[in-house]
Formats: sequence, structure tokens, C-alpha cells
Amino acid sequence: MFSVLVCDDSSVARKQVAKCLPQDWHVSVHFAKHGREALNQLDQGKGDLLLLDLNMPILDGYETLQAINDLNLNTKVIVISGDIQPEANERVRKLGAIDFIKKPVNGEILRETLVKHNLMAGEENQEIEPESLDQDIRDCYQEITNIAMGRAGDHLARIMDVFVKLPIPNVNLIEVSELHMMLSDIETHERVTAVCQGFLGAGVSGEALCILSDSSFSDVARILKVTEEVDDQIQLEMVMDAASILIGTCLTALGEQMDLHFSQGHPVVLGQHQSVNDLIALNKVKWRRTLAIEISYGLEGYNVHCDLILLFTEESMTTMNSKLAHLLEDD
Amino acid sequence: MSIESLDELLEFHWMMDMLQTVDVGIVVFDREFKIKVWNGFMESHSGLLPSDVRLKSLFSLYPGIKKDWFAQKCRPVFELKTRTFITWEQRPYLFKFPNYRPITGTEPFMYQNITLSPLVSANGKVDNISMMIYDMTDVAGSKKQLESLQVLRSEEEERINNG
Repeated sequence: MFSVLVCDDSSVARKQVAKCLPQDWHVSVHFAKHGREALNQLDQGKGDLLLLDLNMPILDGYETLQAINDLNLNTKVIVISGDIQPEANERVRKLGAIDFIKKPVNGEILRETLVKHNLMAGEENQEIEPESLDQDIRDCYQEITNIAMGRAGDHLARIMDVFVKLPIPNVNLIEVSELHMMLSDIETHERVTAVCQGFLGAGVSGEALCILSDSSFSDVARILKVTEEVDDQIQLEMVMDAASILIGTCLTALGEQMDLHFSQGHPVVLGQHQSVNDLIALNKVKWRRTLAIEISYGLEGYNVHCDLILLFTEESMTTMNSKLAHLLEDD
Repeated sequence: MSIESLDELLEFHWMMDMLQTVDVGIVVFDREFKIKVWNGFMESHSGLLPSDVRLKSLFSLYPGIKKDWFAQKCRPVFELKTRTFITWEQRPYLFKFPNYRPITGTEPFMYQNITLSPLVSANGKVDNISMMIYDMTDVAGSKKQLESLQVLRSEEEERINNG
């Protein structure tokens, strides 16, 4: 993965720069407090791109650029500085920086700069105007999900004999890039095992994703009274069991409320111990927008996190809305 | 016998024929795991006639299937009326059948995906489960090939990087 190193002595500035990185740009981000730290990290290969401040203690921006030249380190440098004198700009370019952005940095300019230097290949401004979901419709989806989710939770609780913490379901109309973000959000720095299953009813179709974080397995094994060693095989069993119950009951309950019957395809294992980004990186964009219902289940007293994500195709919403018209008309 | 009831009987007959000949294994069993339906697919691949297996326990016919494990898969189906699934990745097969293509096939046995689906009785309870067995051998074979190629590639890369 492409890596970006943000070097600034102020933690506020570091965070601000990181926040301005385009959100659909999948990179690993590293931080350094001054030039010396930055050089160490570059040496470890953590920084295909360096976003560098100029005024810093220990080793400032100019000295860092000089050192990069002397050490012949392979990195591209964009300077981000409050020092906007023409002289500063000229000096850093002479030292090899490819561009200069003035502080405070904003997302638009950073994106333009990245595109200009071909750092974000092929990801030029194809932004689609985000369209938000009508509040009434969202409430309505949220309500039927609440009911479905409660039932799925109850089923899981009865089968596993545990108390299931029910969250508030998250209902959103999302773009491809946001799905990436949402999934990355679920388990930052964590490895997961996921199962996905297609479903189909008259005029409504989509996919259900059931994601279990790898750290949950030891507790799930305890709940299911698994005595064998928890190897990949057993872990897959556990995910499949949880997925069968959660997806099955959730879909049945959703279907009942919309007077629909869903057929389910056979579940497919998306990957074991993969990072969430890899999970969907394989699946290059065939769609633009999807209705996503995100439910995060937890078990009381255990370190178990299981996410159920129901993704409906955009076309499904027409049917769903008409099926739910009786709920929408009330007010 | 009236014409209508004769028609119904005939319809029932060809529907049963369809169940018999569909290229998917269908087994129906009850809460005691006693077999009630064993279609043509199962008959051909196992070599056991429906009369051989009728009302016999699944576990007595196939001792390789662990009772506790299988009962756990069936519990949500009986109790919650949901479907459960077993993939070949999780367990290559439930019934050890030879490969459908004995000559050109690369795998020694049939990889299987299993779906356990509730059959709701007139009283609203689930007394029987319909189990469907799908042949996944080709998919499994391709995936294994792909994985071995990936391993080869990463070994190659490592050699180049170290050399």
C-alpha cells in the first residue's frame, strides 16, 4: 500500500493534515514529530510521500530535505508550511520538494496537488454529488431494522445463551468510497473474518455481510463451549454459525414487514484474517450507490464484536418504499 | 375418481419425478435425524436405495458425521426456522461421495455446499429439515489451483528480491 508520512512538530497540525487526505485514497498514514524521526521512518520504508513542515526542532524542513538528498532516499516531498515567503518556496523546490502548500491546508488543495503530481492515479474528480436520504424514509428503514435486529439478537441470545447488546442501526445511502470508509471504521487496525450472502425478493435485492473481528474468536469459542484448539477451521465454523442466524432472522423479519420473501444464496467466505480494505479492494466498482444498513452487535461481558451490514441496490428502494408506504403515510 | 383429482395426482407424480431427478442432493429428516426423503442424486452418488435408508438415522448410515456438531447446525433451523449453511471451505464434504467426473476430475471426492432449510408442518412447528447438497468440486479445484499459483508467485518474488 502507498504510505504517507506526515511530519510536523505540532500534533494539531499533524491531525489536520491527516484529516485533509482524500478519504477515498487508500494509504497508510504515519507521523513524525521532527526531521530526525521522519528520516528514521523513511528509512523503514514508511513514506512514499512525505508531507513536510519547515519550522521544527531538532531537524527542520530544509535540513530534512538536504538529508533526503544526501542519503538518496526514495520519497516524494510536498512541503506544507506557514512560511509562505517566495524565498521559502524557491529554496525547498531547489532541495527537491515537488510542491509547496501553505498552511492551514485544506482538502481541496491537497487533493488537487496530489492529482497534479499523479500521486492519486486515475482518481481525479469523479465525485458524484452526495445525495442524502429523505428523513422520513430513513426513519422508516430504521424502524423496520430495529424490529428485525431485535429479533435476530434474541435468536442469537437464545442459541448462545448470552445477553446481546442491541445498537441503534445506522441507515445511510452511501457511495462506493464511503463503503470503504465504513468498513475501515468498523475495525481499525484489526483483522476480521467475513462472510457475504446474496439475497433476493420480488424487486428487492442486495447482499448481507457478516463480519467478526478476529479478537472475538476466543470468547465466541468459550460461549459455544468449543474444547478443541481454535484453528482456522473452527473460526470459520463460528462465523458461518453466527452469520446463518443473524442474516437469516434479520432478513426474515425485514421480509415479513415488507410482505416479501427473500431467497438466500449460499454464503461465500470473503476472507480470513484479512484487513477490511483488502476485503472489498478485490471487488472493483460495479455500482455507484447503495442503501446500507449497519448493525453492530456486542455481547455483554465478552469481547465479541460482530457487524451485520445489509446492502440494498439502489433500484430496490423503489419497491421497498412502496411496500412501506403505509408506514410513511401516517404523518 | 373425478377428472380434477386425477389431474392433481398426475401433477403430484411429475413433481415427485422432478425432485427425484434434479441434480442436487435432497434429504429430508426429522428431529431424530431419521431420513424420510432421499432423492435420485443421493441414491446415485451413495449407492444406497431410498428403501435402504428410510427411517434410518443419518448418523448410523454415516458414522463420519459427528452428532453434536451436526445437531448444533440444525438447532437454529428447528427452533428459529432459519436456514443454516455449511460451505465446502469449512468442511469439504458431509457425505463422502466420489468425484462426479471419475476420469478427468482432479479431486478424489465431491466437495459439497450444504443448505439446511426448515419445513414447517401444518401445526406451525418445524418437524422436518430439508437438506440440499450441492456439488462444488469444480469451484474448490479452481480455488486450490489459484492458491497454489499465488504461493508460487510469492516464492518467485522472494527469490528475485533476495537474489
